[in-house]
Amino acid sequence: MTGRGIGASVLRKEDGRFMTGRGSFVADIALPGTLDIAFVRSSSAHARISRVVKPTGAEDRVLAAADLAGLLPMRAPSKLPGYKPSDYPALAIGKVRFVGEPVAACLGASRAEAEDLAQAVEIVYQELPPVVDMLDARAPGAPLVHESWGDNIVLETAVDGDLEAVRAQAAHSVSREVRMSRQAMVPMEMRAVLARWDHRTDQLLVYSSTQVPHLIRAGIARFLELEQRRVRVIAPDVGGGFGLKCYVQPEELVACWCAIHLGRPARWIQDRREHLVADANCREHHYRITAHADAAGRILGVEGEITVDAGAYSIYPFTNCLEAAMAGGNLLGPYAIEAYRVKTWTVATNKPPLVPYRGVARPGVAFAMETLIDAVAREVGREPHEVRIDNMVPPSAMPYTNAARKVFDSGDYPEAVARAAQMIDVAAVRRRQRAGEPDGRLIGVGFGSYTEQTAHGTSVFSSWGVQMVPGYEQAGAKLTPDGGLEIRVGVQSHGQGMETTLAQVACEVLGIDPDRIAVIHGDTGLTPYSTGTYASRSIVMAGGAAARACRALAERMARIGAHLMQCETDDVRVGDGVVAGPAGMVPFSEIGRVWYMNPEELPDDVDMGGVEAVIGYRPDPDHGTFSYATHAAVIRLDPETGAVEVLDYTVVEDCGTMVNPMVVGGQCQGGAAQGIGTALFEESPFDAAGQPLASTFADYHLPGASEVPAIRIEHMITPSPHTEFGIKGVGEGGTIPTPAVIGNAVNDALRPLGAEVAETPITPRRVLAAIAAARGEAA
Amino acid sequence: MTKVSLTVNGEPVRAEVEPRTSLADFLRERLRLTGTHLGCEHGVCGACTLSIDGVPMRSCIVYAVSCEGAEVTTIEGFDDDAVMASLREAFTENHGLQCGYCTPGMLVTARDIVTRLPDADERRVRLELAGNLCRCTGYVGIVRAILAVLDRRRAGG
Repeated sequence: MTGRGIGASVLRKEDGRFMTGRGSFVADIALPGTLDIAFVRSSSAHARISRVVKPTGAEDRVLAAADLAGLLPMRAPSKLPGYKPSDYPALAIGKVRFVGEPVAACLGASRAEAEDLAQAVEIVYQELPPVVDMLDARAPGAPLVHESWGDNIVLETAVDGDLEAVRAQAAHSVSREVRMSRQAMVPMEMRAVLARWDHRTDQLLVYSSTQVPHLIRAGIARFLELEQRRVRVIAPDVGGGFGLKCYVQPEELVACWCAIHLGRPARWIQDRREHLVADANCREHHYRITAHADAAGRILGVEGEITVDAGAYSIYPFTNCLEAAMAGGNLLGPYAIEAYRVKTWTVATNKPPLVPYRGVARPGVAFAMETLIDAVAREVGREPHEVRIDNMVPPSAMPYTNAARKVFDSGDYPEAVARAAQMIDVAAVRRRQRAGEPDGRLIGVGFGSYTEQTAHGTSVFSSWGVQMVPGYEQAGAKLTPDGGLEIRVGVQSHGQGMETTLAQVACEVLGIDPDRIAVIHGDTGLTPYSTGTYASRSIVMAGGAAARACRALAERMARIGAHLMQCETDDVRVGDGVVAGPAGMVPFSEIGRVWYMNPEELPDDVDMGGVEAVIGYRPDPDHGTFSYATHAAVIRLDPETGAVEVLDYTVVEDCGTMVNPMVVGGQCQGGAAQGIGTALFEESPFDAAGQPLASTFADYHLPGASEVPAIRIEHMITPSPHTEFGIKGVGEGGTIPTPAVIGNAVNDALRPLGAEVAETPITPRRVLAAIAAARGEAA
Repeated sequence: MTKVSLTVNGEPVRAEVEPRTSLADFLRERLRLTGTHLGCEHGVCGACTLSIDGVPMRSCIVYAVSCEGAEVTTIEGFDDDAVMASLREAFTENHGLQCGYCTPGMLVTARDIVTRLPDADERRVRLELAGNLCRCTGYVGIVRAILAVLDRRRAGG
């Protein structure tokens, strides 16, 4: 061991290139003769396309759906009963279903030229009434997004439980209606694709800003009807993903079609307005939820209805059903609630497709459930954090199977709440509230707790009916001739620091310093198949696979080393970069030399696989390992303006064994900052005609350095019993409780006024409306 | 097309550009200096921040033709700069970057903060960073890195 393996805050190997401006994002890659593509996008939320009028003389540089011979519409299948798939054409066919939907593609030698052309294209529409709100979409007689369906319901699911007894028994039944608004994900690097036909390999070579290169490859091959061997997808440096870059996008298919049919490389580099208006959105949920509790606030049962606004189309490959599946399965959070009943509706509207964003449904779930817990606490007159502790699954009950059949593997949930209460100092906040602020502003403290199922495996994804079910994650480990190491993984690192953390895992097994280990990822031509980076799975799955591959390598090196030292394999030990025997040692460089350059020195019975191994891994059982945390915040609210300021924010989290505590901290802080965005600022509103109202950063507000406090973190470590090294996933968790934490803090501050908020983002307008409603005034 | 002469990273550059071409596009597409990133192209996110005559500017809303005679320094032009070297060290030590996309603009702004405001405290640093958005870090590591360099410089390091 070099002290740079698992558990060390090794500084990131990837930082150097980014800090010197030498990263390589898709838009940084230049290929001679590249065509830039600009799209003509629908100006209407719902309309029939009467005509596409191409500018005279430029007809060959404008493509409409009819021009794209051989390009199939995207269809994402699901085995879930009752699911209605939708055909999502790369360019609209017959009608448009949201503002921003691509209708025509214009080609130019530069983006500016392509945009000039796009401005000259005329689309003649015949307007149809749009359906914009998800509850309207459920109502009979609503305009139909897809006429052939007969309604707008994509999917209905239910968890049936018997609530009769607890309804009768409960001292308090507390109901709320809660909404999480639609928003954008806003990675700093937007979507981007560059495609060219490579005649040497007879392959379509696609540079795509994606989290899931192997799935993108499958999608491109499927919809362009190519054999998969003829498609190679490379995700170079990717400037953030957060779930957005997990689906095949229409623009990507058009760029690939152009590269195949026009004989020149083609690229589409999304701009920010396209991202905010026309890219997939996220998060839009509506809840009607009731908790039945005893006099002390112990919750006996929960029942609810969840509606998810999935937008116009189902995305490939994961469909638009995961949000509702996750919401219904996770509403109970970390609590031991015996009776549970929920119904979910996934509905289509004339808005961009909805895709899962960091936390996948659970930020909405936590916003509903955690604000309800606080409402129960207020009802029974107790401190919300104490009510939380009383309702949680205790460590003595682990492993615990809850009423939604989730299996919590390990952890001390109540302890995280207790520590968070201590860190945020609830008693001090209560004293400050009693004293009052000199300027009349109001102080509030809020908590939010969650569990996050991470690295869901085969059994979970297959139960969701999706086509791309993750199985055994594979990693390759290869000793280089000079004794260094290459790790190959099919996941993609876009900020998570896996070039460092996977090297730490390999270092833990083999003792090679991370600086001597190259982690190769994000390229279907160089890495084993993987469904990619999402669901907080990569360090669990690819980390576990890398460990297994390194162990396989160690066994083979042990045999070669023992032979060179003339001793028994059982008597050698592999580690610290050497094979050590009873009377000496052989460095890995010597093993490399013998295998590659002097095979005459190898033992006769050497493993012919040599010093390279590709090994598969999945946790056993593979139902996912549960990370958890409690966050707490203090806010200050101005009842005159409605403005909310976050004064302090703390995180007590447990993601099992930490590979790199510095990276874990960064994930938690970054996640919480995004959660603050969801809680207070970020919204993609639409007017009644389905027109998007936030199309620039002037209307779409992101949290900046002055809106996010210095987030404080305390770690707890309960290794998972099911995974390599006890690692649990951590990438998404930070975003999950934050809207609830801020919402609860705001409601705590508003308590003297009898007001409550129940919709994100908690903008000044919504705060003032809540205060006005409590006073019985119109807002 | 309009003629423009400027200095980029110490080298004289003469070019003919369309009046509508932004400095960012000119640097990225013509000079292949792709360390300057585009994150919004409407002057809000700060990813394209670079130095023009020693002042941090958003190159997505500066026309290339307006840079006649200007001295432009992009992230690629700071390799021999001692302040930037200490900022880079502090950014990596404090986990001030994840995906790395906002980092070039963030570093140029950070360099301006530590040289122009030697006495800046955390609150001031956060205020000064208001023109640079980061989606990954929650700003915690970035602010810590800048404060570390300010401390070091105040201690005469």
